[in-house]
Amino acid sequence: MPVKALYEYEFPSADRAELFGDDQLVYVHWDGNPLFCSAACFRVPQAMPFGEFVAQIVAPWAGSDPDFDPAAVRDWRLFDEPLAADDIRSLHDLGIGHKALLHFSA
Amino acid sequence: MTQAMPRKRKLPLKERYALLTRDLDWQPSYVGKEQLYPYTSYEGIKVHDWDGWSDPFRLTVDAYYKYQAEKDKRLYAVLDSFAQSQGHLALSDASYLNAIKLFIQGVTPLEYAAHRHFAYLARYLEGPAPRFAALCQSVDELRHAQTQIHTISNYNKYYGGFHSWSKMHDRVWYLSVPKSLFDDAMSAGPFEFLISISFSFEYLLTNLLFVPFMSGASFNGDMPTMSFGFSAQSDESRHMTLGLEAIKFLLEQDEANVPIIQGWIDKWFWRAYRMSALVAGMMDYMLPKPVMSWKEAFELYFEDQMLGGLFPDLDFYGIKPPRHVGDAIAEKDHLSHQVYKILHNFSFAAAFTTSTPTEEHSRWLASQYPDTYQQLYQPVWDRHRRIEAAGGRVFFQGLPQLCQVCQIPMAFTETDDPARISFRRSDYRGETFHTCSNGCQWVFEREPEKYVQAWLPVHQIYQGHCGGPTVPDVLAWYGIQDGDNGEYQGSPDARSWADWHASNPSPAPER
Repeated sequence: MPVKALYEYEFPSADRAELFGDDQLVYVHWDGNPLFCSAACFRVPQAMPFGEFVAQIVAPWAGSDPDFDPAAVRDWRLFDEPLAADDIRSLHDLGIGHKALLHFSA
Repeated sequence: MTQAMPRKRKLPLKERYALLTRDLDWQPSYVGKEQLYPYTSYEGIKVHDWDGWSDPFRLTVDAYYKYQAEKDKRLYAVLDSFAQSQGHLALSDASYLNAIKLFIQGVTPLEYAAHRHFAYLARYLEGPAPRFAALCQSVDELRHAQTQIHTISNYNKYYGGFHSWSKMHDRVWYLSVPKSLFDDAMSAGPFEFLISISFSFEYLLTNLLFVPFMSGASFNGDMPTMSFGFSAQSDESRHMTLGLEAIKFLLEQDEANVPIIQGWIDKWFWRAYRMSALVAGMMDYMLPKPVMSWKEAFELYFEDQMLGGLFPDLDFYGIKPPRHVGDAIAEKDHLSHQVYKILHNFSFAAAFTTSTPTEEHSRWLASQYPDTYQQLYQPVWDRHRRIEAAGGRVFFQGLPQLCQVCQIPMAFTETDDPARISFRRSDYRGETFHTCSNGCQWVFEREPEKYVQAWLPVHQIYQGHCGGPTVPDVLAWYGIQDGDNGEYQGSPDARSWADWHASNPSPAPER
């Protein structure tokens, strides 16, 4: 149902991909860890290799849990599908786009 | 010399009211009705007889101001005596004030927003009676904003977090929850605003949104806020009556209004209910002397009074209980725990402090939530307590994923699986949007072109609009000063409180 308005109601999205240039937003959720209330949101380059993303972006955040063990990270999922995590390939190449949601277990 | 004639007896109230309100209305002669009232047709609501609006209060301007002045006089007398007698030292604990910080940052600016928008309705509704009712409510809301500021400012010189609430309301992440809700209502048409604020907010959920702060005040020794509550009470019951009158009037005017209004009830119940999640967290976790649990309040004020009392009446008009009300009922055992978890994770970026519940408080929570607390939430708090005993304190070292509609971090779980976060995804114009629940997803997909514009605090930080890339940059831009935020234990408020209540207290220093 369209917004009822007195004029043509057409506005751009506040977080459209172009506003982030070569970067994008990615959400990461640690499944089953209730120490964190929600998934985290990061701004990262689309070209960032997945391994670097995990080591430099995800690990420092997950380390808020003193029991976090980077070696135990497994079962990556992109939205609801299993993700063939590959440290060398970029987020973009792995199909991880703007505002994608990743899950992992540990 | 002529003798002055004796004064005529005053007119009866009803006649006086008619002359002073409806009788002052006039028909436009040199512009059309559509030009004078340009906003009352595009929403599709049909009104055939504006005089069908009955006014339960029959207030006139002079009577209105007389009553309000009396109420103000009584309130300010309490405030004076509280200030002179160092009344703040008689609170249950300084941590209680976290609830009041949330109130002045989150609720008081809504009173002001309501004042503005009811002034607009007082100009643009077509009937003189609803215009006058909107005028009174507009002035009420302004009075509430002012008296709340004066009431709560008593605490500002002794405690953190009270100093920049207006700026914070426009900028800080958790305050975007109430702010965006009101922006949503104010950018809708006049009839949708009536259903959103007068009906859903002031009638359906007022006992869950507003009253818990006032009863919390009375249980925790906060005389000023409690007196404010009394001072606002008769206004609030007038606002509730306006909400009910508005919906019944619109439903009676034309059958075609029914589905439009049902859609607004479905939307605004969920929007206001989601915002009340912040109140749920406050009720169950921020009050040193709790009043009643969120669950109990929800059952009493919403399930019994609204679903049991109001909606059977509205069924006569063809109105059904709000869509997604079942989800709200299903999560009543979880809501407050999940919301306080958010605040506890992120209070380093808030203008209040949080704390892991004490063992005594934990026992109270267990007694209130026998089916969920010990099973699901206490084990996590116990873990926090162990980490804190070892000198740590878990904060979320990053920014959360937010719901596109309610703007609360995506912390709510599936109604049938409390271990799984409820992620909802929609695609619109090639972009992905995330919502926290069936209700918020439904609201989004109903008007996506509105919600894609949401000013989500997390994404705005990442776009560089919030003072800079680091946490201190953002906190400075938020107006949060060191000590306003973080953990309550060891905070400046906790230290001052302990000092003032030591056996040889030094005089309370002003901040």
